[in-house]
Amino acid sequence: MSDHLPPKSSVKRWLVTTNHKDIGILYIITSLFFLVFGGILAFMIRIQLWNSGAVILSDLGYNQVVTAHGLLMVFWFLSPFAFGFANYLVPLQIGADDLAFPRINAMSYWLYLSSGVLFGLSFFQGSTLPTGWTLYAPLNLPAFIPSVAEIGAFAGILALAVFVASVTLGSVNFLTTMYRMRAEGLRMRDTPLFSISILLTVWMMLFAFTALLGAVLLLSFDHIFAGTQGSGYFGSAEGGSLLWTHLFWFFGHPEVYIVFFPALGVMGEIVQTFSGRRLVGRKWFIIAMALVAIQSFIVWMHHMFLTSINLPIKTVMMVTTIGISLPFDLMIFALIYTMIKGRVRWKTPFLFVLGAILLFILGGITGVFLGAIVLDYSFRGTYWVVAHFHYVMASGAVALIGGMYYWYPKITGKMYNEFLGKVHFAAAFIGFNLLYFPMFIVWETPRRWFHYSAGFTFWHQTASVGALIFGASFLVMFYNLTASLYSDRDVDESPWAYTGSAEWSVSSPPPEGNFPGKPSFATGKLNFLEGPATDGGEAQTDGGVAAAAEAAQPEADHTSWWPLILCATGLVTAIGISGISESYFIWPFVLAIPFFIAFVAMKGASTDGFGIVHAIYLMAAGPMLAAFLLVFHLHHGFPGGMFAANTYFWVTLVGIVSGVGALVGMGFESFFAPEPELAEQWPFEGVTNTKLGMWVFIASDIVLFGALIGSYLFMRLRAGWREWWDIAHANGLETHAVWPGLLNTYILLASSFTVVLALAYAERGNKRRTVGFLTLTFVGGIAFLINKGIEWVEYYFHFEWTFNSGPAASTYFLTTGLHAVHVVIGMLILLFLIARAAMGAYWSEGEDALTLEYFGLYWHFVDIVWLFLFPLFYIL
Amino acid sequence: MANIKLYGIIFVVLGLISTTQFLVESFLPDGLYWVGLVAILALSTGKAIAVAGYYMHLVEEPRSITYLALSGVLCVVALTAGAGYSVV
Ligand code: HEM
Ligand SMILES: [Cu+2]
Repeated sequence: MSDHLPPKSSVKRWLVTTNHKDIGILYIITSLFFLVFGGILAFMIRIQLWNSGAVILSDLGYNQVVTAHGLLMVFWFLSPFAFGFANYLVPLQIGADDLAFPRINAMSYWLYLSSGVLFGLSFFQGSTLPTGWTLYAPLNLPAFIPSVAEIGAFAGILALAVFVASVTLGSVNFLTTMYRMRAEGLRMRDTPLFSISILLTVWMMLFAFTALLGAVLLLSFDHIFAGTQGSGYFGSAEGGSLLWTHLFWFFGHPEVYIVFFPALGVMGEIVQTFSGRRLVGRKWFIIAMALVAIQSFIVWMHHMFLTSINLPIKTVMMVTTIGISLPFDLMIFALIYTMIKGRVRWKTPFLFVLGAILLFILGGITGVFLGAIVLDYSFRGTYWVVAHFHYVMASGAVALIGGMYYWYPKITGKMYNEFLGKVHFAAAFIGFNLLYFPMFIVWETPRRWFHYSAGFTFWHQTASVGALIFGASFLVMFYNLTASLYSDRDVDESPWAYTGSAEWSVSSPPPEGNFPGKPSFATGKLNFLEGPATDGGEAQTDGGVAAAAEAAQPEADHTSWWPLILCATGLVTAIGISGISESYFIWPFVLAIPFFIAFVAMKGASTDGFGIVHAIYLMAAGPMLAAFLLVFHLHHGFPGGMFAANTYFWVTLVGIVSGVGALVGMGFESFFAPEPELAEQWPFEGVTNTKLGMWVFIASDIVLFGALIGSYLFMRLRAGWREWWDIAHANGLETHAVWPGLLNTYILLASSFTVVLALAYAERGNKRRTVGFLTLTFVGGIAFLINKGIEWVEYYFHFEWTFNSGPAASTYFLTTGLHAVHVVIGMLILLFLIARAAMGAYWSEGEDALTLEYFGLYWHFVDIVWLFLFPLFYIL
Repeated sequence: MANIKLYGIIFVVLGLISTTQFLVESFLPDGLYWVGLVAILALSTGKAIAVAGYYMHLVEEPRSITYLALSGVLCVVALTAGAGYSVV
């Protein structure tokens, strides 16, 4: 199919590819790089701990290393490693030819890489984050971060934001794919365990990571606007640091399952394959996973037993925590029982999974100790916690390594060296236990601190030796995996005697389009074919039909430069923001707007032909730029002020201007990714992939605004609900009127009305009215912003009620500000839509009108958010 | 599917509800603050449901889309209720 893709030997291929298997490989290799990066930092920790007191690192150095090790391993190694396999395997396992949105999948990867690079660079901006991976407040605030570290620390925070962007796009993509593109006859419950575990993982990701984005957004606000003097959010006396722990752990607890779930799926697959039988209680295994996934959102305060939260809620969380360990028990029993009932073949992948299960049992049991409030009073902040979570996290990592051996032949077409694989396992397992078991023995060592009682030295040195063995075992792995590539141990479909999932029924590596024909499970079940697939012949017969059907459609696209370019500009922008000053912060974004308009005009004219709309845009862009520069001049002086700004200002400006260019480029690129004609789509039949994707995105945006609104409610409850405005008045807010909020409510409602009208007329083929109502919507946006702007100016400049005038001010400005940013983004999209609609898009035969419907979903959602901001920030 | 008249009616109703919210705040005696609070939030919820149901066409989509959106709302409720309750 994809004859557009350059060969694998060409570098270009890896830059432009949107193929899920290529991207899977990119993820795996990149994550292994971060494993090595994080691993080197781990060695530095172990050397530092050889004796109590500093051995090689300064205080700040140690803090950075501990922080970066944790963040890199959790965010940039474990999850992406798992998602490398997910990218590669999920479409194969469910019988799809790619993910639903291949170009967005490429963007997820490049954003992931960008975020990692941004984080790595932060070491060179003075210092990276020195806060610990939990970024507890107030240590995460400028006032408490050593000034040399401020820029690097903020860069680290931004790296998290970029990472979340990658994850969110990935979640939308996987959810859409898995719900809409399963091959005919493949019911959800029959989907292979690894894919099911990924499905549950992306569900958790979608919501948990958005909560983190909310937290990071508030933290960025504190960094940019609160500076070293202000209180902002997390420096606020109204429970600021407590708020951080709530937001972080609402994300953080699901996150620890997010890194573990793919490993559970791998365990299921490997135990089945090497026991030669279907998992015992498979259905209950899946139900248990789903239960855990849901429950993971209501245990988060077990990380907060030593904060000022009240005892009743602690008790609730203790109960839910102990409760959540029960489904885990069930899963572990199911795995063990399957081994007992089957005939085990002791191959490397199986050994790793067995090892992972043992580690998990120890880690899980010690976790239950931590879940008991009274015990946690003693254990918190000690090496007991460190040992606990390394056992469970490493259990996940070890299982995924098993997965790597398991699927290595599938991905490369070559068999790894079994003997070296076993050597790796033995060394890793012994090394790991030597490294972490002593931590239970000397658990009283304080966490994140390199002084400990002299009596513990022996055990810490034992741990360091264990670390050496553990680390060295990975050299064996890297050697094995590299050397085997050049061996002559070729594999056909499957090297394993017993397999159940679809990836083993195609060649290794699978063909470009995944399957020789159209996969269908309509006649039989997917699971537990005896040996490699026997339905190859059947697939062949289907092949003819599929080919005929495909001929009618335009051919699918498989390459695009834009994801890479767009993410590169994102990286540049983020680097710029990390060091930009408060007074310059807004300007690059403002100045990019006229460029965006000009780009739409130029790109639109070259794509759709030159029309009056393009002339209008071009004529508007110039004066707009001039006007913005004039206002800039009033603030900073032009051009003097520009040249007085630091380099970060210029970096941001270059990044964002090229970024809007890339966005426009991507918007106008025609990229065709067909929806399968015949697919299982329960429970989302009857919508398009894009509409489902849009709704998934909206669900995550609900959580983003929810996190902000939740923070507002939290602070207001802390401060006293009804005293809120009195405090604000005491802090300088002279008056606050309700009617501007009411006016804006009318305006936004009206603009929602015009959007549905535009859609209705597009469906009727009435181009003039479509364009007219879209334009009216745009005008509504302007009116909204002007009204909002007047209010902001009044508060900020006249009353001098600024970002830092207490929690009422911070919450008001940031929440309505984020909403306004959503409005602005909507308006920029509108400019694009108007230009295209005016040239004849969206109303031909009514089908294209869907694009307007998707936009409408976004716009109405922003409207709905306002419907709640209005009472919360104006009336009550 | 697009019924312009229905859209128009909904728009008018939404506007009226917003006005009502404003009036509740302006004329409700202070002693009834909490009653007003519940009423105002309930009215906002009603508006949101109308917009989601008709402008975003949830009434016509498979019900699972509604559940998808509600699961996001549920998350927010869990976070807000848990965090809020932990400090009161
Ligand atoms: C079997 C069920 C589990 C229970 C009952 C449990 C319980 C706990 C508790 C109560 C804490 C807080 C300890 C403290 O800070 O004082 C904790 C910490 C932690 N757990 Fe678990 N856990 C379990 C499984 C897992 C799994 C599967 C993972 C990840 C794969 C995990 C990763 C972590 C991490 C990373 C921390 C440390 C967070 C920090 O940096 O403070 N846990 N666990
Ligand atoms: Cu937890």
